[in-house]
Parts: sequence; structure tokens; C-alpha cells
Amino acid sequence: MSWEPLADPAWAWAPFEPSAAQPWDLRQAGHLYRRAAFGATRAQLDQALAAGPQRAIDALLEPAADVAAFNRSADTYEAAAASGASTHELRAWWLRRMIETPHPLLERMTLFWHGHFALSNARVRSAQLMADHVQLLRRHALGSFREMFEGVLADPAVYLGLGAQANRRARPNLPFARTLLEQFTLGAGQFTDQDIQAVARAFTGWFVFQQDLRYLEREHDSGPNRLLGRAGDWDARQVAQALLQQPATARRLVRQLYRWLIAEEDPPADAFLEPLAVELARDYQIGRVVETMLRSNAFFSPLAYRQRVKSPVEFAIGLVRSLGATVGTTQLGAALADLGQDLYQPPTVAGWAGHRYWLNRFTVLGRVQLAHTLLATSKGPNGPWDAALAVGPQDRPTAAVPQLLADLFLEGDLAEASQQALLAGAMSAGADAAQRQPDGLIECAARLVATPEYQLS
Amino acid sequence: MRKNPLISLTLAWSVLAVVPLAQPQDLPPANQWIPEEAVAVIELARPEALLDPLLSQDLARALGALPVWQQRTATPKYREFMAVLGYLEGQLSTDWRTAARKLIGDGVTLALGPQGEILLAVDARDGNLLDQLHQILRGFAVAEAAKQGQADRVTSVEYRGVTGHSFGPKEAHAILGRRLLVANQPKILKYVVDLKDDPQGRHLAASPLYQGAARAAGKGAVATAFVNLQALRDRPGLQQALTAASNPLATLLLAGTREALKTANWLSLGMYLEGGRLILKAATDGQPPAPAQSAAFATPREPGTGALPNLAVPGAIAGLSLYRDLHGFYAAKNVLFPERTSGLIFFENMMGIFFSGLDLTEQVFGETRPEIRLVVAAQRYDPAIGTPAVQWPAFAAILRLRRPAAFGEVVEEAWQKAIGLVNFTQGQQANPGLILDRFAHRDTKGTVAYYRPPAASGQAPIDARYNFRPALARPGDYLILSSTDGLARQLIDALDREQAAPGPARPVTHTLLELEGAQLRAILAANFDHLVRKNMVDKGTTQPQAEAELGMLLTLLDCVGAARLDLGRPSGPLGARLELELKLPTADPPKPAQVNAGAPPPPNTTVAAR
Repeated sequence: MSWEPLADPAWAWAPFEPSAAQPWDLRQAGHLYRRAAFGATRAQLDQALAAGPQRAIDALLEPAADVAAFNRSADTYEAAAASGASTHELRAWWLRRMIETPHPLLERMTLFWHGHFALSNARVRSAQLMADHVQLLRRHALGSFREMFEGVLADPAVYLGLGAQANRRARPNLPFARTLLEQFTLGAGQFTDQDIQAVARAFTGWFVFQQDLRYLEREHDSGPNRLLGRAGDWDARQVAQALLQQPATARRLVRQLYRWLIAEEDPPADAFLEPLAVELARDYQIGRVVETMLRSNAFFSPLAYRQRVKSPVEFAIGLVRSLGATVGTTQLGAALADLGQDLYQPPTVAGWAGHRYWLNRFTVLGRVQLAHTLLATSKGPNGPWDAALAVGPQDRPTAAVPQLLADLFLEGDLAEASQQALLAGAMSAGADAAQRQPDGLIECAARLVATPEYQLS
Repeated sequence: MRKNPLISLTLAWSVLAVVPLAQPQDLPPANQWIPEEAVAVIELARPEALLDPLLSQDLARALGALPVWQQRTATPKYREFMAVLGYLEGQLSTDWRTAARKLIGDGVTLALGPQGEILLAVDARDGNLLDQLHQILRGFAVAEAAKQGQADRVTSVEYRGVTGHSFGPKEAHAILGRRLLVANQPKILKYVVDLKDDPQGRHLAASPLYQGAARAAGKGAVATAFVNLQALRDRPGLQQALTAASNPLATLLLAGTREALKTANWLSLGMYLEGGRLILKAATDGQPPAPAQSAAFATPREPGTGALPNLAVPGAIAGLSLYRDLHGFYAAKNVLFPERTSGLIFFENMMGIFFSGLDLTEQVFGETRPEIRLVVAAQRYDPAIGTPAVQWPAFAAILRLRRPAAFGEVVEEAWQKAIGLVNFTQGQQANPGLILDRFAHRDTKGTVAYYRPPAASGQAPIDARYNFRPALARPGDYLILSSTDGLARQLIDALDREQAAPGPARPVTHTLLELEGAQLRAILAANFDHLVRKNMVDKGTTQPQAEAELGMLLTLLDCVGAARLDLGRPSGPLGARLELELKLPTADPPKPAQVNAGAPPPPNTTVAAR
């Protein structure tokens, strides 16, 4: 999709200001919350509408709630789950954190970096190391990529996950070096085979012994080495610095963030992203670039609106968060794995392919079944529907229930005729009272979230 | 009531009934008003036996002191309920406890029909009170219906001199004398009225199946249950349950139960209260497998043989004593499990490695005698090493060998191969392995495998692997395979004591399960935090909700002293007996239990080898 005004990057990345042509309405508020917070309850959408776009974004970037206290409590639960080889329990706690966190943007960005570094417990085989790794990502998810990258290079899980637990002088690990260059930093086409050799040699001497990363001087290949056209006796830290100095690294990260926050289709030209890449390369502060993207005209343009396919995690967590509820996450984690997104176990070093690959005839059916389960088992302080609809059972006029649900889940994106046809069966199935009851609501909601529109973020 | 509903056997097993009730004056027993086609009937013959302890002031005070109860009673819904109850007490001029005794004191009968029909008969001691309550509830129903604009929902109809009432489309009821009849369909109520007036009518009490079940349940039961298995046998769910045999472990444990149920026409349950014990007796007319049948591996062939008494070890949580001929079981595997599942193939591959060169049927299982015992017990941890974050109880299997001198070392060799295989696999994953060592206890030598203590020994919590110190010992004819050497030592002592004063085998029992409520509670309490966290992510509960749920479970376990299940009667029809020692809460509830807290030097301590 293209949109004429976006031809000018300066305008595209300038802060969005509502206008008659592009008002700040329920659709835009829903869009913001889908991208920055998985989803929102009706009350949150109403608050965002009243606050206006920039103040709503302020609240998402820096929530008023005590995020540190919440994270301390969540860390305690996760720490207890981080034992043994399996990450299933850990996965359940991360999903619960996503559902309950007062800072959902932080969790969305942690999920983004999990896909970026794509470390899988299938190779790491340690819940503790995986927990530490994701904690590292969370710590820097909206902070400094430089610090995150340096942390990653000191993380034993990364070496285990990339099969680089023994970097011997006699056998430099080329696949590990390639992943560092291609996936973590520069991107494909930005380096040569000689650079791969150089990085692999620079990392010789690093070993993981019983989950501890150790450096053995005698195994380090300290001979002359040539990386990215520069000669030297490179070590791991110097390689990290050199890679971050390359403009290609910032460009690649911005492009990845663009895919995550703006659109997956039609990759934009380098020139379009260049202002953000320059900004990021300055000090690698991720939060500033994320903020620029969220506040931008591009973000609120048709270029971005429902231009991403929700991943299974985004689909499920978004649904539960929009109900203001919680669910059992042990089974949810397994169901999401069946739909193709197994947290702590990305399928390849390139992470999840995403986009249209999320959907096929099996996963679409799986999403419908999962939605039914989530809608039926969600628990809220006063029942999930009160929070979702922002009104109690007695205050739900029968005629308004379908519209309330459609506004909550689709924000008016479903054509009225389609909506009426879709909900006709569900509405006629129950009489007045039944529509206020959970069964009628579940049926209506399940039909709405099974629509193609709902699969798009 | 002719076609079959899907009525869960579980439901039937969970409640009870069969002896004729004490009927209200001038009325025949309720079972004479129940159609013969009923597939399950529960009769509470002596309500006072349950009401007396449940409605006692002592219990009310004790419950009121429980935090869990206080949480539940602090909710607005509970307060609303109590307000309604108070209103009813005022209207009836009596307190609710007295009212309950007067309203259901002469018995309660619940019958389920094959198509999901439900009929409830409640025999009141005080007919006037029943009428009074009905009038009040009818007034509520009329007011509620009018409020919803459905005034015609509450109806009364005359049928053969009986006035039937309905408060809604899914309910119909009538009061005849001191008996209240409630049905989920008006036609059921009409059927009962017809049956009442027809001396030749086919009612349940005249059914030979029901009579057989009633005889088996015996007299003096507080409550009884009858299930017509003849009517339910064709149900796809039940058929599948009775024919499915894909799980060898389930087949081994259930032994001939499935076969007996296949031929059974009825199932009866009787509930008795004797002293502080709740006893459930189950019986069917199904016959156990004949000796020539493949499923006869739980049928003792020699007189006086059967399951042995369980071994007593300190801190025992559970004991399971089985009479199972493993040789016969494995020899019949092709008949019992025609499908070679991946689990079975894996088992055979592994056993082939451990017992290489031996025929599994004759030279391995043929060397074991049918007396098998399993023990689960609490364990204490060496403070110098630390306590695991998740505490597992120790567990062990005790087998009796036919030729211990010849076969004992074969098992020892196989066991050490298994430990070696574990170590090899752990090594591949850069995980710590087990160190093999020998130990001696009394005159018995054993082998133990243990993990090197953690670097920061003594600092809890430590990894869950420190729950295990697998051990093998061969005292006399016996072979002990235990998850810890501590329990193995305890079992050597227990076998010594048994040899000095042997208990008789239980010839009518092929399965004897004993549970110790206090120890089970203690192990759950020791893992309370872990279970709370698991509940939170499994069910989506908050921490207080999860704590309340588990608190309730612990409170329930406080009420159970010991439980004992006998299953068998190999020489006759299948029978089971469950005994529960009840300890209703007192005003001074027990303090939270800890595993062997304050106990003298641990019987089952895991001792570190350094």
C-alpha cells in the first residue's frame, strides 16, 4: 500500500496531529493499543480518546502504574519456574506477565527482541539460562541496543543456542559468526566471507562449561585479522563495537522495528527510513526510535492501519487484555505453540517468519477454537464482560450488545451489513436476557474475533 | 424413560443407596414410585446420620474459625444468601437447622432416567412445614415471573387428583402427603402419579436387578446407590471404557475389574458411618476372569495367597499392595494389547538393553512372585546439602523373587546399566551425572547413586534432582528399588519386622491401597508455594485465590485421618471397600503440618555421600 503524503519522510515521521480528514477516533485508538499494548479494554480506549493521541502514547511509554513493583513480583514467579530443562512453566509465566503488565509496550518489545535474537531452548536446554536471556532483553527492550548487544555477547545461552559452546582456535565457529552478522546486526549482503572468518576467529577462546561462559586465552586465535576492511587483533568486544559503528546495523534494526510497529507489506526505500536510522545510530537508544514511530504520521496512516498479521501471541493476549481478564496460561502456551509461536523456542535463528505465514487453514481453525476457549475461561474481578464492555449486565441494553462487542474488537472496521449477517444467528439464538449472559456474549464475541479483520493488527 | 442417557458412572460411584426408606405415614417407600427403567438411583435412607454431625454447633464453630471459611463467608453473595435464609427462618418460625431436619429427615431419593430424566423425592417429617415453605417459594416465583413479564410461567395443574406445580419450563413438582416430588419434566411427574395408582405398575422396588443390588449393599447403610449396568452397557462411552486396553499400566492396576464390569448387571454402593469412619462398599454381580483367561493375572491360584499387608515405614504417605502375576501378564500381552504402541516398544527396547540375552517373559518376569508392594513416604533432607525447591516424596517398589540368589545379581547388573544410561544421556546434555556407591544396612548390601552436592551446599532451595538418590537392595527374597537410599533402609527394617511377625496374605484382596491423610497433607503443605504458583498459571487465578483453593484442599485433608481401599474378592463377584477415617474440624484446627517437623532423627533421611 502506498499513500501519497508519505513520500516525504520528514512529514511521515513528524508527530501525528488529528484533522478532519484523519480524526482521533476509536479506530486510531484501537490501532495504537494493538501495536503498542496487544489490545485494550473499552475503558482504556475511552480514556485514550479523551486524552488525545500524544498523551495516550505518553501513558503507553511511561505508565503511571508502578511497573517496577509489578516486574519484581513477576520476576519472583519466573525465578521459581526457571529450573530444569523445560521452559513450559516459564512460558506460562511470560504469557501471564503479558496479560497483566501495566507496561504492555515493554513486553511487546521484549517479544520483538526475542524474535530478533531467536534463541531457542531446543538447543539451550536450560530454563534458567532462557529466563536470564529474556530478562536481559526486557531490561534493554526500550533502552540501549548497545548494552543489550554487549549483554547478548556475554550470555552463555546465546553460545549454547547457536551451537557455539566451544570456540576453539583450531575450529572457529563460522555459523555463529554468520548469525551475529546476518541476524543480530548488519543483515544479509552487508558482509563478506572474510568478515565471517574474522568474527569467528575473534570469538575463539569463548567456552560454555556447565552453563558458565568462560574465556580460555590459550584457545584464542590472536593472529592478524581483517574485519569490514580494517586490520587488527580483534576480540569479541571490539567486534561488537565495530558492528555497531556500521550504518547497516542501525538501518537493519530500524527496518525490523518498522515491520514490527508499522507494516509488514511493501518494504519501504532506505531513504524513507534513513532519518530514523541516523537517529538510532547516534547512541542506539531504542526507546526514542519506538517513540518516534508511534507518534508519527506514518503510524496513523493507511500505510500502517491493519497492515500486520497478528501473531498467535498477539491474537490471544490482545483478546484477553481487551476483556480486562486473565486466563490459565499453561494451556495457552501449548495452544500458541500449536499455532506456530512457541515462546522460548523460535523455529530458526531467523526467528518467526510471521506475516502471512501465520495463517493457513489449520491455524485459522485453531485460532477460532482458541478464541472460544479464551472467551469461555477468562476470569475478571467482576466477570470479564463488565470490564470488556465497561458496563455491568443490567446496563447492557440488548440492542447495544452486538455493537459494543463489535466496537471493542473491530472498532467499526466491519461493514455494517457483514456485522449484521455475522451476528444475526448469535443474536437470535438468545432472547433479551440471554444476550446479557456469558453464553450469548461468548457466541457473539467468538464470531467477531473469527473475522479476517480481527486477524490483522 | 426408555432410551439411554449418558450418565456418568463416576457420578454413581460418588453417591449412594439401596435399602427401602422409612416412608412417611400412609405412603409406600419412595422406590415404589420410581419407574423400573431408572438407570441410577441414590437413596439417603438415614439423613439424620449425616445431618447430626454436619449441622452440629461444634462443626459450625470450627468452620467459622477457618480462614478459608471466613474468606468465603465475607462475600456479598454469601451475605445475600444469609439474608434470604434469615427471612425464611422468620416466615417458618424456626431456625434453618431444625427446618432442614424436619424437611428431609425421613429420606431423600434421587433417580436418573435413561434420557436424562431426573426425579427427586424428599420425605419430610413435618408436612405442614413443607407446605408452608412451598407457599413461600411459590410467592417468590410468582413475583419474579411477574417482574420479568412472564406471569404465566408459574402454573398449577390438576392430574388424577394430584396438584402439580411448575415454576418454569424445566421443573415440575407436587406434594403428596409429606412427600415432595420434583422432576425436570412434567411428563415424569405424571408417570409417577400413574405408577402410584397402579398396583401392577413396574416400579423399581420390584426389579430383580435392584433387589440384587440392595441385598449386596446390606442393611444399616446411611445411603445407598444403584446403577443399572445392564441398561448402560451399550453406551458408547462405557463400552469404550470397558474395552480400551491400550495402557498396560492401567490394565495391570485395574486387573480383572474391567472384565468383571463387562459381565455385571448392576453396581451397588453402600455408605456407612461407624464411629469416626466413613465406609463405602461397592459390589457388582460381575465375575472375575477365569484362570485360563488372559486377564486372570490378578487371580490367586494357590489357596491362602493374595495381596500382602502394606509395609509400615515412618512418614508413609501411601502404600499399595498388589497381587499381580507379572509373568502371566506379560505372557498375555499380545492378547491384552494387540496394538504395539510406541510406549510398549520403548519399554521392550530398554528392557532388552538392561536384561540383554534374557527372555523377558520367562527369565525376567518369570523370576518374580505375584506379591508386589509400592510405598510412598515423606523424606527429610540433609541440611548440609539443602532442601529442593520442589519436594518429592520418596517412593519404592518391593518385589519378591523366586530365586533370589540366581536372579538378584542379574537385576543388580540391569540396574547399574540403567544408571549408566542415565549418566550417558545427562553427559550429552552437559548435566550432572550420578555417582555409584555401595551401602550396607543390617546384613543387606545395596547400591546407591547420588548427585554431587551443589557448590553452595546447605543453601535452600536446591535443584529438584536432589530429591533422588536411587537405590537397590536385596534383603532375603526381596528386591527393593527405591528413589532414595533412606527409604530403602527403612524398607529393609520393615521387611525384617515382617519376617519376625508375618501378617497373613489377604486372599480376597488383589489390591490394597492405604493413604495417610496427615502425611499427604504435610507433603502438600511443604510444596504449598509451588502448588500456588502452578494453580495460578494453570487456572489463571490470583495468588489469594490460589491460596484459598489450596487452603480448602488442606482443610479437607485435615478431615481425613487414613483411607484404605480393598479391591478384589477373586473367588466371587467383584467387590470393593473404601474406609475413610474422618476427623471433622474442631474449634482448634491443627497447625500447618510440616514434613516430619520436629521428628526425631529421620527414618528416611537422605544422607549425603561425600
